[in-house]
Amino acid sequence: MDFHAALSLGLPLGIGVAAIGSGIGLGLIGQGAMQAIGRQPEATAKIQLAMIIIAALAEALTIYAFVTMFLLRDKI
Amino acid sequence: MGLEFLARVRKTSTWLGGVLALMAATYVDPMLGVAFAAGGVWSLANLRLLEKLVVSLFAPERSSPGSRRRLGFALGGLLGLFAAGAVLLQLLSPTALLLGFLLPLAVIVLKAAATLLLGSRLWGAIVNHRFRAALAAMALAAVTWFALGALTDATAENGSAGGQGAVTSAAPADPHGAAPADPHAAAGAGEHTAAGGEHAAPSGSSQAFPNVLGLIAGANHGKPWADFLHHYEILGFSLLVALLLGLVAFLASRRPQLVPGGLQNLVETVVEGLADFISGILGPKHGPRFVPFLGTLFIYILAMNLFGLIPFMHSATANLNVTVALALTVFVYVQFIGFKELGPLGWLDHMLGSPRDLTGWLLAPIMLPIHLLGELAKPISLSCRLFGNIFGEDMLLVAFASLGVAMLPFQQVPFGVPMQVVFYPLILLGSFLQAMVFTVLSSIYILLMLPHDHHDEQGHGHEAGAQHAH
Repeated sequence: MDFHAALSLGLPLGIGVAAIGSGIGLGLIGQGAMQAIGRQPEATAKIQLAMIIIAALAEALTIYAFVTMFLLRDKI
Repeated sequence: MGLEFLARVRKTSTWLGGVLALMAATYVDPMLGVAFAAGGVWSLANLRLLEKLVVSLFAPERSSPGSRRRLGFALGGLLGLFAAGAVLLQLLSPTALLLGFLLPLAVIVLKAAATLLLGSRLWGAIVNHRFRAALAAMALAAVTWFALGALTDATAENGSAGGQGAVTSAAPADPHGAAPADPHAAAGAGEHTAAGGEHAAPSGSSQAFPNVLGLIAGANHGKPWADFLHHYEILGFSLLVALLLGLVAFLASRRPQLVPGGLQNLVETVVEGLADFISGILGPKHGPRFVPFLGTLFIYILAMNLFGLIPFMHSATANLNVTVALALTVFVYVQFIGFKELGPLGWLDHMLGSPRDLTGWLLAPIMLPIHLLGELAKPISLSCRLFGNIFGEDMLLVAFASLGVAMLPFQQVPFGVPMQVVFYPLILLGSFLQAMVFTVLSSIYILLMLPHDHHDEQGHGHEAGAQHAH
């Protein structure tokens, strides 16, 4: 397996692995936020704000893999 | 019938002509779309002026001075219109202009034919029986299919070089034009891959929708200002967005009224909503000071994100340079706030983790690099998140637009199904969310830099907060 084959195999695979990780993270965040809203509906606005911030942080990890893919795509 | 019929014709022609011109501009050639739209507008204006002329000539009160003035206006307008038509014929493609000119006339004929057909007995006989109606629809579809097939075969045989070249070179989202060009470019140009790391290569022109500035630069290829425009296309779009926002702000605040209406009302709603939102994060004491900076950030980023959805425009935030500039602005501003509010010693104290006892001082050498790295990571994560999301959205649109071209069996017909429209709601949501995330994170970075009050210990004040709690 030469360099190009390894890269073209690894780039999509890397995105997939990153997506699995942040997918699990997003699921946990959503679960926690939904439970908190269900328990305390009057705090919905605050919980949603915090949820969106943390979800953005978790989602950014996949975006890093995505950006890396685009930076290395020309080397394939 | 009568004037009401003409008004309906105008409305139908406007919508139909707009959609057709957009399709022609996207799938065939941008200048063709412009010519088609110009022809349509010319024809519509012509119809409108003729209508005015006829009305002012044959109206009951035709001898009144107002009617005379209208008559003179219509005649002068027709003369000006003919002059404009001569200029347009010199500048643009005559065929597309003629097609655009014929569009309202065709709409009139089709509408009249439909009125006649819908009242006829044959139509009633077909429609009232459900099997006959289905059969008629299927026959119509089959005739269209075979006619298109015959048409494409004919064009393919006639001039395969000319016809195919026009399609592949012109269709912006055509996978046959874009795909083979890519590996060659990557394999052939060693310098390009070497420079790619620095320039953040993803702005590959073969893989994106065409945009206005790029087309203008391409039409004037070789001139210095065109090269400049092509190179700084992204800057051009971000400046354009800034100018538009400035214009809106100027128009809204030009004559402020106590009871706002229209634009002023809208802008005041947005500004008040942003002020409430940011004050909710930063607290009523510090919040109002930072509303101008953070609110401008939000509106600017949102406008740049959404600008890419307009045909022949481009999202400036889908380029790493713009997002890095925004994130660096936030970084410098946050450090400036830290120096101003805490003083140099206070800033150092903050970076050391605010040590107050022996444990704190022992941990300080570890806390300093952690805090410095954290500060440096903030602009990187801010810029990469915004860039990645918006760029990903653009790529999604391009991929589905080329799918819409490739899914049709008639490769020679420069036409595609606009598959990307399905994703517009998702992209509207995503653009809004990313602008909000950028703003919220910036305001939280500011909040962490501000001197902490005793009751809202957050983030960096963990050790101190734990001490107070005990």
